[in-house]
Amino acid sequence: MRMDTVIVGGGLSGLTCGIALAKRGQRVTIVAGGQSTLMFNGGSMELLGNIDGQDVNHPLEAIAALPKNHPYSKIGAQRIADIAVEAKQLLDDASISMDGTADTNHWRVTPMGIAKRAWLTLSENLRIDDMGKLPAKRVALMCIRGYFDQPNGMLAQGLRDMGFDVQTIEFSTDDITALRHSPSEMRATSLAKHLVSNNALQRVADQINALASEADIVLLPSVIGQTDDNDFNTLQRMCNKPLRLVATLPPSVAGMRMQTLLRHYFKMLGGNYLTGDNAIGGKFEGDKLISVSTAKLNDMPLRANNFVLASGSFVSRGLAANYERVFEPVFDLDVEADADRDKWTTFGVLEPQAYFRYGVATDDSLRCLKQGRTITNLHAIGSILSGHDAIKMGDGTGVSMLTALAVARDILSSK
Amino acid sequence: MQRKWEYSSFYATFKTVLMVTTDVYNKEYDVIIIGGGATGAGTARDCALRGLSVLLVERNDYSTGATGRNHGLMHSGARYAVTDGESASECISENMILRRIARHCVEETDGLFITLPEDSLEYQQTFVDACQRAGIRADVIDPEEARRIEPAVNPDLIGAVRVPDASIDPFRLTVANLLDAQLHGANTLNYHEVEGFIINQGRVEGVKLLNKHDSSHVEVRGRVVVNAAGIWGQRIAQQAGVNISMFPARGALLIFGHRVNKMVINRCRKPANADILVPDDTVCVIGTTSDRIPIETVDDMRVTREEVDVLLREGVKIAPSLATTRIIRAYAGVRPLVASDDDPSGRSISRGIVCLDHATRDGLEGLITITGGKMMTYRLMGEIATNAVCAKLGNTAPCVTAVQPLPGSEEGAPSQSDTTKRYTFGQRAAIGRHGSLAARIEKDNDIDNALVCECEGVTVGEIKYAVHQLHVHNLVNLRRRTRVGMGTCQGKLCSCRAASLMGELNHNPKSAQEDLAVFLDERWKGMRPVAWGDTLREAQLTATIYEGLCGLDKAVNLQGKEDVQ
Repeated sequence: MRMDTVIVGGGLSGLTCGIALAKRGQRVTIVAGGQSTLMFNGGSMELLGNIDGQDVNHPLEAIAALPKNHPYSKIGAQRIADIAVEAKQLLDDASISMDGTADTNHWRVTPMGIAKRAWLTLSENLRIDDMGKLPAKRVALMCIRGYFDQPNGMLAQGLRDMGFDVQTIEFSTDDITALRHSPSEMRATSLAKHLVSNNALQRVADQINALASEADIVLLPSVIGQTDDNDFNTLQRMCNKPLRLVATLPPSVAGMRMQTLLRHYFKMLGGNYLTGDNAIGGKFEGDKLISVSTAKLNDMPLRANNFVLASGSFVSRGLAANYERVFEPVFDLDVEADADRDKWTTFGVLEPQAYFRYGVATDDSLRCLKQGRTITNLHAIGSILSGHDAIKMGDGTGVSMLTALAVARDILSSK
Repeated sequence: MQRKWEYSSFYATFKTVLMVTTDVYNKEYDVIIIGGGATGAGTARDCALRGLSVLLVERNDYSTGATGRNHGLMHSGARYAVTDGESASECISENMILRRIARHCVEETDGLFITLPEDSLEYQQTFVDACQRAGIRADVIDPEEARRIEPAVNPDLIGAVRVPDASIDPFRLTVANLLDAQLHGANTLNYHEVEGFIINQGRVEGVKLLNKHDSSHVEVRGRVVVNAAGIWGQRIAQQAGVNISMFPARGALLIFGHRVNKMVINRCRKPANADILVPDDTVCVIGTTSDRIPIETVDDMRVTREEVDVLLREGVKIAPSLATTRIIRAYAGVRPLVASDDDPSGRSISRGIVCLDHATRDGLEGLITITGGKMMTYRLMGEIATNAVCAKLGNTAPCVTAVQPLPGSEEGAPSQSDTTKRYTFGQRAAIGRHGSLAARIEKDNDIDNALVCECEGVTVGEIKYAVHQLHVHNLVNLRRRTRVGMGTCQGKLCSCRAASLMGELNHNPKSAQEDLAVFLDERWKGMRPVAWGDTLREAQLTATIYEGLCGLDKAVNLQGKEDVQ
């Protein structure tokens, strides 16, 4: 069957683009390789957090200062403002309830108790809009006994540095104690799988109610709510105090939930999601991509009018590097990267690394290039794009969602 | 002579010597040993076993110099048989001793010396003859047989010789020697750097130390001082006004992400670059290069692109599958070579080991330098140095280090491969790392059994043990004692868990963040020279987690910080 659009990559950008297209009646197939980097997302979206070492308070204003090859510059500041509203609406429609605006960043609290600028944060997560006006004073930090993916000491100290009065409370329940017998079960996603029944949640609530009576708000590691926010809401109803979640080290329950909800929404809109398959090559004719072949459908290439490459950066294998060069492994598209291997990285692990900004080369409409020629029906979106830096600029999830929506608009208007 | 597996007295002794009190500084020692590598540790053990009062000082952590920066190869001596028969004999003799006294540090893999089509088969005969002269078992085997017993070997080989090479964990070995020295009354101080000597009328009477924990300066007195500082021994000697000319020989190595070979594989040719592949625990190591470098550069251990290129090009000739195996890190060490013609007194005991008595050589009483040699012969070097110390002090006790097992290898100690007992993954891994000392690791409850490092099977209990009993001050120390973060993930998640746990044990969560950043930086030093393929992916993932998700780069500034070792 011929598709309107085939998207390679089923993470945040691929799903966002797929949803936007399917919503407008397109037949869309997503080829999703494996894990999405949402697994490493604590439940926030970042539009733009930092430029040249300076924290950004007002992302939309700051976009004007970005270099020309940044994906936002290609989309244009005007359109970004508009698309950012659409992005938040899309998340809402997918039952992902987040708070924040693109005009002004808020702070999210990281698993290590460090405040970072963010655009949107899940409603049940701790969020600080104004450092001078904390949402509460006395905080009870609930620590699950034997759970090591929340560095409690760092988190408590970080919260104190922000001005909270922090009481650290260790607790367990029968269910959690039983889980501990297997040394590898104490991971956020395993806990979330077990903390679903009313009984299990009630036992957690009993502990919170008994131990955290003096707090204004109660913080809990984000180990609840793998599939939706019902578990959290149930627990909140059982507790006497307002409850907020704090991101944990990976695997991230919130990230997995966002991934699941987006995928469900895409499928609900009629989208076709091929899990566990990988694009392995494509057939080009002139300046067009005709079809994409995948590992599992090798003799049945996917044909479409438009193609979108959303396969991520090195982590997701959207980009690859060998001994000699950086390349795009599916179509061998043109990349923007240094030729000299010594320039890819630098000593000093916390320094900006050049490879963070590497990606496929695109024209101003985010269309890919192959041997210097624009492929007119192949767009790239998300982390595979060059010219941005998710780590140092705090623009990763923003670039994923906003380039996805910008490209979706282009595809829809080109018809 | 055999010490039985027993703890109560050990535990009591060890606990008390851990405290750095002024008592440690105020005591007058028979001998002060400078350097916490294998040689220093082996010398400290020998001196302590002979009844001397001992202080060992180390400027960084234990085994940070050449001891921790080699192949982890327990040479049979075969490699030196053709070029240096004396070193070869020393090696095979020490090899057999270490199998007895340090079996918890040794994996008996055996080794192959392979001849490739580009090498000459004639050399094989020369090699086998030389091995026989040195007393090294060397069995010529059929290439077909070699391919069968070692499937990773280059299938094009035209000849193979089987020798008793093995794999050894130098970190564990050093700690075991230090532990035994402590058990016999020695004091040991890491992060104490020698700033100068106390010299009176042509006689060394002690050392001046900088305590790097609190930047205080202290003096400690000793009747004899042993300079066992490896390549840094030249600088130490200078501080006493004595000149030793060392020839630093730098060697770089690569660690691959899994263990492709079961046996040590060597090229059967004149020793050259990158011709040994050693299986170590869950990984394997190819090396080394060999370059003379200026003495001023011995602290710069960053591996260059050229070194990586040579190691890779040659490594795949030994085991072709290395071409497609992920390289997890690169590192380099410096061999402390001393030319014997530079020794005016001609006292070098062999072309390898050099023991200098500065009284006869330079007219400075009370100072001995032990250098040259190899990690493999650390015990013999310790024996030679201790003999020299004892001669000065009139001590006539015999050396027992060749027969008395190290702590962890006593008779009756549990074995990693003991299938009659039920151990968890973590417990089994800990027994492999600590031998009988693993019994000291708390494992009575599910928290202590919880895994912190999944690649290497390190539990909460093992970390507590290391922090409380093995002189662990930071994550880098912890890695050396337990292998936390040394597996394929290179500390992606376990380092945060371990940092957080250590922060709680030390009641200092802020330092835990800095400690974590320093640890990641140290890992990155080794990864950066080989940052392509999956290693680059892992690096980006680590950055995504620690910087993107956690914001560690916002909380810690590493710029201008001295390397922590």
